[in-house]
Amino acid sequence: MSVWGAVAGGFIGTLVLTTALSAASELGLTRMDLPFLLGTIVSSDRSRAKALGYAMHFAIGLLFALVYLGIFAAIGHSGWLLGGLFGLVHGLFAGTALVTVLLPVIHPRMGTPFSAAADRPLLEAPGFMMLNYGRRTPLATILAHIAYGTIVGGFISLAS
Amino acid sequence: MALGRDAGYLPLREYAAIGDGRTLAFVSSDGSLEWLCLPDLDSPSIFAAVLDNERGGSFSFAPEAPFDSERRYLPDTNVLETTFKTATGSVRVTDAMLLPDNGLVPSRELARRVEGLSGEVLMHWRVEPQFHYGEKTSQIGHRGGTPVATAGGDALAVSSWAAGAPVLGDGSISGSFVATAEAEALVVLSSAHREPLILPSRAEAESRLSSTIAFWREWSAGRTYEGPWRDAVIRSALVLKLLIHSPSGAIAAAGTASLPEQVGGERNWDYRFCWVRDSALTLHALMRLGCPHEGESYFWWLLHASQLTHPRLRVLYRLNGGERTPESTLPLSGYRDSGPVRIGNAAGGQEQLDVYGDLMQTAWLYATAADSLDSDTARRLVEIADLVCEIWRRPDSGIWEVRSEPLHFTHSKIMCWIALDRAVRLAERGLIPRAHMSRWSAEAEEVRRFIEERCWSEEAGSYTRSAGSRELDASLLLGALMGYPSERDPGLSTTISALRRDLGSGPLLDRYSGEDGLEGNEGAFLCCSFWLADALARAGRIDEATELMEQLLELANDVGLYAEEIDQGSGAFLGNLPQGLIHLALINAAVSIGEARRS
Repeated sequence: MSVWGAVAGGFIGTLVLTTALSAASELGLTRMDLPFLLGTIVSSDRSRAKALGYAMHFAIGLLFALVYLGIFAAIGHSGWLLGGLFGLVHGLFAGTALVTVLLPVIHPRMGTPFSAAADRPLLEAPGFMMLNYGRRTPLATILAHIAYGTIVGGFISLAS
Repeated sequence: MALGRDAGYLPLREYAAIGDGRTLAFVSSDGSLEWLCLPDLDSPSIFAAVLDNERGGSFSFAPEAPFDSERRYLPDTNVLETTFKTATGSVRVTDAMLLPDNGLVPSRELARRVEGLSGEVLMHWRVEPQFHYGEKTSQIGHRGGTPVATAGGDALAVSSWAAGAPVLGDGSISGSFVATAEAEALVVLSSAHREPLILPSRAEAESRLSSTIAFWREWSAGRTYEGPWRDAVIRSALVLKLLIHSPSGAIAAAGTASLPEQVGGERNWDYRFCWVRDSALTLHALMRLGCPHEGESYFWWLLHASQLTHPRLRVLYRLNGGERTPESTLPLSGYRDSGPVRIGNAAGGQEQLDVYGDLMQTAWLYATAADSLDSDTARRLVEIADLVCEIWRRPDSGIWEVRSEPLHFTHSKIMCWIALDRAVRLAERGLIPRAHMSRWSAEAEEVRRFIEERCWSEEAGSYTRSAGSRELDASLLLGALMGYPSERDPGLSTTISALRRDLGSGPLLDRYSGEDGLEGNEGAFLCCSFWLADALARAGRIDEATELMEQLLELANDVGLYAEEIDQGSGAFLGNLPQGLIHLALINAAVSIGEARRS
């Protein structure tokens, strides 16, 4: 297990995750767009927001890969299968807490169930498991995160 | 003056709406709150006595003795004030849905404050919640001394101060007290959905009532409109603000479901969704009133909501952006036994070609105001214009969502022309890619030829409802407002005259003549009359437009609200209310007449 394995896995895993969600969006499976959601934290210009969002998403992807590395080191095990399991938990966490609860709190342009007449959000809140962005969003999100976790776990394991 | 009830129901004119940007409540002129969905406008109801006065649930608050009542909105607010006068004295009830402040606040909060004005008045209030459209049984109990009603994951706390000791009954919480000038009473409903209840203190609730009034006044003061009929325009803007779903930016078509277009009839629809059709009118009205933030939120929501089905558009979307709106019926009797009571809307699955014109017109308004479009949006608009080239020759269900066989509706073809014309204009300005511009131009000319050759009646001197038909349709006015036919085209004025002649009755217009696949009749569709006033102004017939506008403003209820339709004979309100499309049309007509006068 090494930091460079985690960095490489985080980079490739985030690339795959982002591409998978983008493909799911193009296929009409979901309106989920993580770079867009992240980028609009800092910009209301849609194009600039997407570019910034990609950078932010890659940074977060690398950070999570290091968290995976830390947990692998703590339990003394790693591997693509364990990584896939972590990805499943990671996807569920993203759908139920990270994007659903925490993101609306820090996002200056996102609505929440408590937004009232005095608020003027530009982005609708994702809702539980991000279901507001389409019925197949939980499936697409979880599968993409399992792919991310599998790649991160595999790279960390390979770099052992 | 409050009217008496007929079999437990008041005329729909007797209702006023209060709201907080998430949901809205109906308050009758006799003090009864008879419509409220929680936590959001498109959630199940907790009070729906307007749809079933026995099982729907209500929150009544009125003198025990016979009374007369007068009401108004506090100037420039969505806070309602009703004054009850009895033989022994008079009281004033202030009703508001409270906006949150920075503290720990209930998810949704509604306050009813009573001030004695003179003498002594015995007041009685009764909260009878019926959760989930009356389908769930309420449990009544106490939480820390506060009466609470619960059902499943929903809870409602009834906090009261100086309003008598609450009495817990079988499914109800009630109280009585004598209102005098010495003490103000306050009853506050606070709700929770899948979370613990938050019980406000009196000081907190009073503070939020004050800040709510201040917010509405500040918002109204921010509107830039200085043209004719300013009071009616600002009231309409406040109604639109009530219909804007703040968590997403979507705008609901109306605040209610299944209020009948014909008493006793089957034309009862759920309008608590956002129709793409309203988009261009909405954005135009918001921009004309100086509401750039609401306009931008709405455009962002529209792009986001339509992403899943792109390039195809659904007719309507849920307020949270969802596309599924399955229709079902509820075991409620309906307003004056007008069943079925429907929720959801099956029109969501129809093919209606006009929505593409509405979206492109919306994009045109937005892009020209901002003088820019991001590349993703530009790409999507190109794909929508390409789609219109492929599908404009199809028959569709049309703007009125008829449930009869699809036809080649003239309005739908006009809106397809609008879609292609706006695509060409956007490309000419460099706001979207120009690669397909020649194709859009050629197809737009084909659409124009179809309309002129097959949708014009020399005999009527008018465009017709559909290709090859002799029927007329007021939606042709909407096409005119977006530029087809142009203001200089003599066909505009003759079509206006034909519509008034064949569909008109005084200031009112029927929507159309001919078949629509439903039993029974309906009232006059009020937004068509405002479109008519707008079109008259654009055709240079300003005196006619002004006269019509004055007549239409007289048709509002005592607090300036309109329902979807009005009965030509009795003047009774019909259909859902308050209806956004009418208030949008009012705003746009007033602005157009003002502009026509100045030019």
